[in-house]
Amino acid sequence: METFVALGGGFAVALQPHNIALAFIGCIVGTAIGVLPGIGPLNAIALLLPFCLALRLPPESALILLAAVYYGSGYGGRITAILLNMPGEPSAVLTTLDGHPLAKQGRGGAALAITGIGSFIGATLSVIAMTFLSVPLARVAVAFSPADYVALIAFALSLLGAVGGVSAPKAWAAGCLGIMLALIGIDSGTGVERFTMGSFELLGGIDFTILAIGLFAIGEILLLIETRLRAQAEALHGGQRLTFSEVIFCIPAMLRASSIGFVIGVLPGAGASVASALSYTTEKRLNESNGKFGQGDLRGVAAPETADNAAQIGNMVPMLSLGIPGSGTTAVLLGALLMYNITPGPLLFEQRPEVAWGLIASMYIGNCMLLLLNLPLVGIFARLLTVPAWVLYPGVLALSFAGVYAVSNSAFDLLLAIGFGVMGWLFRKMDIPLVPIILGFVLGRMLEDNLRRAMSLSGGEVSALVASPVSIILWVMTLAAVVWPFLRFKRG
Amino acid sequence: MIADRLLGLAFIGIACAAGFSAWNLVVPFAADPLGPSPFPITIALVMGLCGAILVVQPVHGFERPERLAAPPMLVLAMVLYALSLVPLGFMPATALMAAAVALLFSAKPAQAAVVGIATALVLWGLFDKLLDLPLPKGILPF
Repeated sequence: METFVALGGGFAVALQPHNIALAFIGCIVGTAIGVLPGIGPLNAIALLLPFCLALRLPPESALILLAAVYYGSGYGGRITAILLNMPGEPSAVLTTLDGHPLAKQGRGGAALAITGIGSFIGATLSVIAMTFLSVPLARVAVAFSPADYVALIAFALSLLGAVGGVSAPKAWAAGCLGIMLALIGIDSGTGVERFTMGSFELLGGIDFTILAIGLFAIGEILLLIETRLRAQAEALHGGQRLTFSEVIFCIPAMLRASSIGFVIGVLPGAGASVASALSYTTEKRLNESNGKFGQGDLRGVAAPETADNAAQIGNMVPMLSLGIPGSGTTAVLLGALLMYNITPGPLLFEQRPEVAWGLIASMYIGNCMLLLLNLPLVGIFARLLTVPAWVLYPGVLALSFAGVYAVSNSAFDLLLAIGFGVMGWLFRKMDIPLVPIILGFVLGRMLEDNLRRAMSLSGGEVSALVASPVSIILWVMTLAAVVWPFLRFKRG
Repeated sequence: MIADRLLGLAFIGIACAAGFSAWNLVVPFAADPLGPSPFPITIALVMGLCGAILVVQPVHGFERPERLAAPPMLVLAMVLYALSLVPLGFMPATALMAAAVALLFSAKPAQAAVVGIATALVLWGLFDKLLDLPLPKGILPF
């Protein structure tokens, strides 16, 4: 009951005309950037954030816009995957397996329709689960001591190496690098300068948007420019349309994919890519006798896309309830909230209900908009694929620099962003994941603050870090996450 | 393989520099029992350890770019943009940069010129007219 009252309050915020308009803009931008290879939700949000701040949007409106870009991108990635056989988003890789064969058989329209429906079902079921789960989870977390938080953050960071098929030492080293970047500047506790290398510009620390735009927007364009694009989009029209019985046929797969997606999404560290891969293999295994997976099975596109969208929403649960983001994009959303001086976490739902519930309510509305945008208008978004790179990327780059300049008005920060761009490009060439850097950057300060608070409370007694049952459990899980990649390596 | 070894060494190098710098912090007063040094030192230790694992157990090599010259040229164009933005102003600098990037994405010269001018105009309209954000004026009167 309580939940419905709170959700009602959220709808009162989300249904204000300017918030509806922002959600709508976010949905369009999100779908568009999902379509375009090389621009993902992470860099789009990093690019939009300076404008939200400069325009003095209230925090709930900014979050409604940025989150709509985020979950909207989950709808767009599938268009590129199906028509171009190339994932618009990393999490759409699995969609290409059956999506492109379908497009070649002339059923691209049907594949797009079923994935649009799947995305809507996955996202909406996830938002419903989030509605009922967020507050209980936040209640548990209210009782967390600083020492428990140290263990929780350590666990979230350690998971980075255990999932996603990356080299664990590289992921952890990248996480450490992110933490160190966060520590640059004046230490708030003692006023001591750390890692500033005598630079006056670095005294105030590195701005979050500069790191995100550098690593993800500039770095991505450097990666794009070194390869020659040669993919050719399949035609959208022609072929048999999606029938109602086909939708019914896919429903069980979508429901399974929704639950897989949400659960994986809530776990820190494991993102939408893991969820879509897991749901695809699940469906393939369950339907070995009657499936034609890999040659154009509708369930083979419905399942990963449903799971992808469910996981994206699931990712937001720990970010809002615990203040611990589980993916790169939710880390950017958290960074956005921090720039508004709002600390997500257990108290958010009580202290700033308009932000927390306004966001949740807007996600119901946004997903309905996205369904409408993506079924009849999918052709317009598909046409984005015909925009040549030489029109698109100069604009993206100019927008990146304008965003950086809007935050700081300094040419130094432009150079810093270029430096991070080169770093992001080199790292990607060497298979170093970039998400740990951004997670480390966001969580690093939080980790240190909680550690120092815990030590203050205990008078410097280190054993206080493992004093509560919660922290002991979390540290054991952390240890398991650290050891796991090495065991896997030995076996493989 | 070589690339991963070098990478491991680079991580160890950064970790040593950061750890050393944190170790030598002079703390005028102690606000909390831990102070500003131990946390960065711990992180540096973890990073150094990861670097050492990479040196011993490299997994992957560096992928050669298909177009070797394009990335450094793009970096050059961006750095020139960063340096010229304030003295030249937003419109001329952005037009030049966007045109250069379009050329690097294999546009024809005429196309690049159009892209450069259009990008600069659209963004200037968006930032200066619509959003009222500060942009460097530079040599042009507006």
